[in-house]
Amino acid sequence: MNTRFLDWIWHVRGSLALAPGQSVDDAFDRLDPLFHQAGTSHDRTTDTLIFRKKDQAAQDRMSVFDGGILRIERDVAGLMLRYHLTSRALLFCFLAPLLFLGFAQATVILPKIFEPAAETKPKKPEVAKPPKKLNPIDAALGAPAPDPPKKDKKPGEDDKKPSPTPGYIFAGIFAALYVIGRILESRRVKRLFRKSLLDA
Amino acid sequence: MDGVRVGKRVIGAQAPVTVGWENIPRVEGGPMKQIFFTWFQPVMLFALIAFWFYAPNSIAKASTAIWIGVGFKVLLLGLEWLTPRHESWRLTWKELTTDLFYVGLGYTALRMVDTYVGDGVMIEAIQHSLNWEKFAWFTGLPLLVQAILISFVFDFGQYWMHRGMHNWGPLWVTHAPHHYITQLNINKGAVGNPVELFLIGLGVGGFFDFMPRAALLAGTFGLAVATYQHINVRFNTPRWWRFLFNTTEHHSVHHSQDFEASRSNYSGTWIIIDRMFGTCVDGEAELLGMEGGRRMSVGETMVYPFTEGWKTLKAKFGARRGFERSHSGTVMPAE
Repeated sequence: MNTRFLDWIWHVRGSLALAPGQSVDDAFDRLDPLFHQAGTSHDRTTDTLIFRKKDQAAQDRMSVFDGGILRIERDVAGLMLRYHLTSRALLFCFLAPLLFLGFAQATVILPKIFEPAAETKPKKPEVAKPPKKLNPIDAALGAPAPDPPKKDKKPGEDDKKPSPTPGYIFAGIFAALYVIGRILESRRVKRLFRKSLLDA
Repeated sequence: MDGVRVGKRVIGAQAPVTVGWENIPRVEGGPMKQIFFTWFQPVMLFALIAFWFYAPNSIAKASTAIWIGVGFKVLLLGLEWLTPRHESWRLTWKELTTDLFYVGLGYTALRMVDTYVGDGVMIEAIQHSLNWEKFAWFTGLPLLVQAILISFVFDFGQYWMHRGMHNWGPLWVTHAPHHYITQLNINKGAVGNPVELFLIGLGVGGFFDFMPRAALLAGTFGLAVATYQHINVRFNTPRWWRFLFNTTEHHSVHHSQDFEASRSNYSGTWIIIDRMFGTCVDGEAELLGMEGGRRMSVGETMVYPFTEGWKTLKAKFGARRGFERSHSGTVMPAE
């Protein structure tokens, strides 16, 4: 199976044309500072640079990537920098909606598992609470009085059971974050490489 | 690095920490910017208090509080983006996504656990065995007094739990991952191992009976004060505020790479609790984290208390067993 159909999820590929007259050594020298960050190791051969990052700092401008290969090749248009980067952050963000959908489903299923057992237990008698009255100072300041307790309370109305809604909302948030991140981070890294290559 | 003596301790000997309010820079910029960043915190706090005090019962609900909380945090994220306190703390896509992952866990998995084994269960059990007549005096207090008491009692519990985490190994391993953050942003308060978030969420405030409106007002102190613990924005915080309440400055000292500095400013909302117990250090730090600023991955954060706990047990009991075995001549002594 060709993994490229799937690996675009966490693999970022791209290319950049080197400035006319720029040599391979000069290009790698300019990119070199990007790989002198805490938690980053790299190996450089004549036309290839391989790097790996572990526990990279949040302040690392390539912190979203965990490894990659940068290669300079000769094309019809001249020298080209081709890069292939991998990001676990993108992969986990892609998978996060599934996790949160799972949590949402768990909030639906778990009460069904635990409730039948609870129903067999003798129900504790409701403790009578005295009616709440507003303090005269609050009343004078104009705070609304509390509602009287409901007389026709439905059974289980007060139960604070978790709702699946936050799970669905976070699944949506991570789906959106993935789309934004996949586009944004590939553009950011391209801009970073371009700036590094062109900076005097 | 010499550090600065604060009481019996030397702060900033291992990593840079600015000590003393007089040494902390103020907001730079024109008069409008100065006014905005001087008045923003108190105006938001009093506006939210007024809202919850006067809102009709149909609006004064927990669901409204959640949406106000979300809106307020989005507003603060906007401020972080427009005027970051430190460029090195700027929120990136990866940091935002990671922070939101922990926030999401809090709203979903942790809430589920809390329902079945956390303070939700404890509160229900205790509330069922209380004689409510004895608490009528509390619900009869003015709303703001109730709110301040709820917030203070809850924070008092959190203070001691947090201080315990910095002083006792088994609790520290749950809290340590939170100290690997290297920058402060709005949602960084949620970053940490779920066991810690569960422990810190065990509050005694929930055991009392109170007016629902008082609980919403108490929550406002959490939102409009404690949220500023983790924020990448500089404010000209009023003197009375920073005397009473926790601030970004205080909390950045707590997260400093300096060990002594990190053992200060434990409260969440009421820094006055730290002042009461002599653990307050007024100041700020930019260089945060542990192990020289190593970022802890989500995976390591999830397992850290267990792996570190295992290592400690192995070192303690494994070494002893190794020694005994060496005497029987089967295994070399453990190092």
